[in-house]
Amino acid sequence: MVATAVTSAFFSVTSSPDSSDSKNKKLGSMKSKPSVSSGSLQVKANAQAPPKINGTVAVTTSVEGSKNDDGASSPPPRTFINQLPDWSMLLAAITTIFLAAEKQWMMLDWKPRRPDMVIDPFGIGKIVQDGLVFSQNFSIRSYEIGVDQTASIETLMNHLQETAINHCRSAGLLGEGFGATPEMCKKNLIWVVTRMQVVVDRYPTWGDVVQVDTWVSASGKNGMRRDWLVSNSETGEILTRATSVWVMMNKLTRRLSKIPEEVRGEIEPFFMSSDPVLAEDSQKLVKLDDSTAEHVCKGLTPKWSDLDVNQHVNNVKYIGWILESAPLPILESHELSAMTLEYRRECGRDSVLQSLTTVSDSNTENAVNVGEFNCQHLLRLEDGAEIVRGRTRWRPKHAESSANMDQISAERA
Amino acid sequence: MLKFPYCNVTDLNQALAQCRFVGLLGPLASRRQSPRAVVSCSPSSSEFSLTPVQAVMSCQQQVGSSLVNRLRLGGLTEDGLSYKEKFIIRGFEVGINKIATIETIANLLQEVGSNHAQSVGFSTDGFGTTPTMRKLHLIWVTARMHIEVYKYPAWRDVIEIETWSQNEGRIGTRRDWILNEVATGEVIGRATSKWVMMNQDTRRMQKVSDDVKEEYLVFCPREPRLAFSEKNNKSLKRIAKLEDPVRYSKLGLKPRRADLDMNQHVNNVTYIGWVLESIPKEIIDTHELQAITLFYRRECQQYDVVDSLTGLELTEDSKTVSVGTNGSATATATTREDDHDCHRFLHLLRLSSDGREISRGRTEWRKKPTR
Repeated sequence: MVATAVTSAFFSVTSSPDSSDSKNKKLGSMKSKPSVSSGSLQVKANAQAPPKINGTVAVTTSVEGSKNDDGASSPPPRTFINQLPDWSMLLAAITTIFLAAEKQWMMLDWKPRRPDMVIDPFGIGKIVQDGLVFSQNFSIRSYEIGVDQTASIETLMNHLQETAINHCRSAGLLGEGFGATPEMCKKNLIWVVTRMQVVVDRYPTWGDVVQVDTWVSASGKNGMRRDWLVSNSETGEILTRATSVWVMMNKLTRRLSKIPEEVRGEIEPFFMSSDPVLAEDSQKLVKLDDSTAEHVCKGLTPKWSDLDVNQHVNNVKYIGWILESAPLPILESHELSAMTLEYRRECGRDSVLQSLTTVSDSNTENAVNVGEFNCQHLLRLEDGAEIVRGRTRWRPKHAESSANMDQISAERA
Repeated sequence: MLKFPYCNVTDLNQALAQCRFVGLLGPLASRRQSPRAVVSCSPSSSEFSLTPVQAVMSCQQQVGSSLVNRLRLGGLTEDGLSYKEKFIIRGFEVGINKIATIETIANLLQEVGSNHAQSVGFSTDGFGTTPTMRKLHLIWVTARMHIEVYKYPAWRDVIEIETWSQNEGRIGTRRDWILNEVATGEVIGRATSKWVMMNQDTRRMQKVSDDVKEEYLVFCPREPRLAFSEKNNKSLKRIAKLEDPVRYSKLGLKPRRADLDMNQHVNNVTYIGWVLESIPKEIIDTHELQAITLFYRRECQQYDVVDSLTGLELTEDSKTVSVGTNGSATATATTREDDHDCHRFLHLLRLSSDGREISRGRTEWRKKPTR
């Protein structure tokens, strides 16, 4: 296998192993021939025993073959002096061959994600793919499992948030706070998420290891889009896709801001030009009120653990509150398969919130599969100020949920 | 030579039902690894249906074959009597002080305890029960938890937690932890907990029988090893029950869906959050939790409503007295206690409906260090 590897390293390799997909473009670049192009090499190769690699004769014979067609300058007289440079060239050639062979060997043996773990023992994550994608692994811990025996949606969202911060950090885009570049800090600007869309194909369970990849792109002229792709580290199966839209806000005036040129200079190099990982859910989110809401939960207040470093409620916590007013039969028999949230306002420690939910009619234009439900949500303060507006889709957890479905339909009839 | 327990999970449904044991949780369906143990099960028709392939492992299977084991930065120590694991503090695990919250610490203690039990081959169904216990429908239940944190880790700090368990008294077992900061090697926290066995059908306590003792004692240190070796340490201090009126309170706390464990019981760590809810803001802003002790008396269910009560603890005349003034939730006149940098509180969690005690506790707070 070594001989093949060595040989193939020396010639341009046109097809790379399956494991090296677009993420491993860097390694593919080593396929080019070693920069040895002396016609004299072929002469020397014959004159001395070529080093054996694992018992096979070195590739110099094939080098000889390929070099034969090179420009045929008349060989200089073979004195002792003339032979010396050839040795070093040969040595250089052999070294390069060895290095190329080693790399090629590693590539052939390489399982897709193992190097990530070897180099990243604490799962801090690393930038891959030309410096634009950040990738991090998470093991699902026992306390992250919810009532449904799977990682909760809050756990997934925490992972997304964590990779976003770590991405900024490793790209050098982190000022003092979480998520503001140095130039932004100078101008008192912060990123604020306005929209989040998540589609979960499968929830990971205890003991799973998920890989979260994230990247940013432009969103319009003054926004930023951050996408995530969550997959099972072992099987590669895509578990979750998410996309979010961010705008810039002055943290003192609380007004939206255009992206200043200095900040643009900082962040634009990191924008990937790619399609969103999720088709945008363009359906307008309805604002519920007391008359249209079927389920209302009042008196929700943030706990100490809900607050982030700025004493604002962490974005992820809103999801828990939204689910507080989701009807229990749906929560017990179905799982959240998709979610779209629009963030309107922040709230802090002293806020008192209300969570409203309505189960959408299945006959609306938003066709659902059999057994699935759509819900509309609103999270607001007691005075009516809107915090988050949302829409969720639920699919049956298991086939045996048909009984619950009848119950839900009956309730709403 | 250590004998490896041969675990036979014959009835998964029963094992799952009604367990308040929070330290060792996990859905059956996903457990892929079973170091040094054999698990066989019959596929159940319940929602916890299990793929037989996933559950059957060979005795000879090496630990570390699965991805999560390779990634896990922990394992049994050389003598096999304790377990160590490293964790990095993640961004969503820090609180308003930019340091790990006490809930994060408590979650990690729970995680590492669970991983320890798993690595010695106990209940691969996730409950840390020995085979005999499962036969007798016995489960572990937390009775007491005491955590002291000397220095809170910050975001991206790496900490190592070592844990071990040993016998305690006639009906209990204890699990101890030591936390240290990997960068400096200094001990940043210690914890100890007491567990008792309960019959999951009758919900009554049961003495630890000799068969069960034999099963797990092989994995315990031979000599008593205590995280808190000092005599009269704080973990053993008696906690008085708060009586009305209390100084601070937060009423009407309801378990959220995220607070429930896989058996629809309120996770023990949630209790810590509830205790903190009735601490006044002035303390939270200026102080950090130095020690917390909780005695668990009753289980809390999904639809229970809980009141969290807090009173000052005065320690003059070496007598612990709980002080009550009017029942308002705001801080009133300062007492002698407030002049010190250390505050001590007594806590009570009780059901709103009938006042039955769920848990009682004690916390100590020290002034936040300048960072």
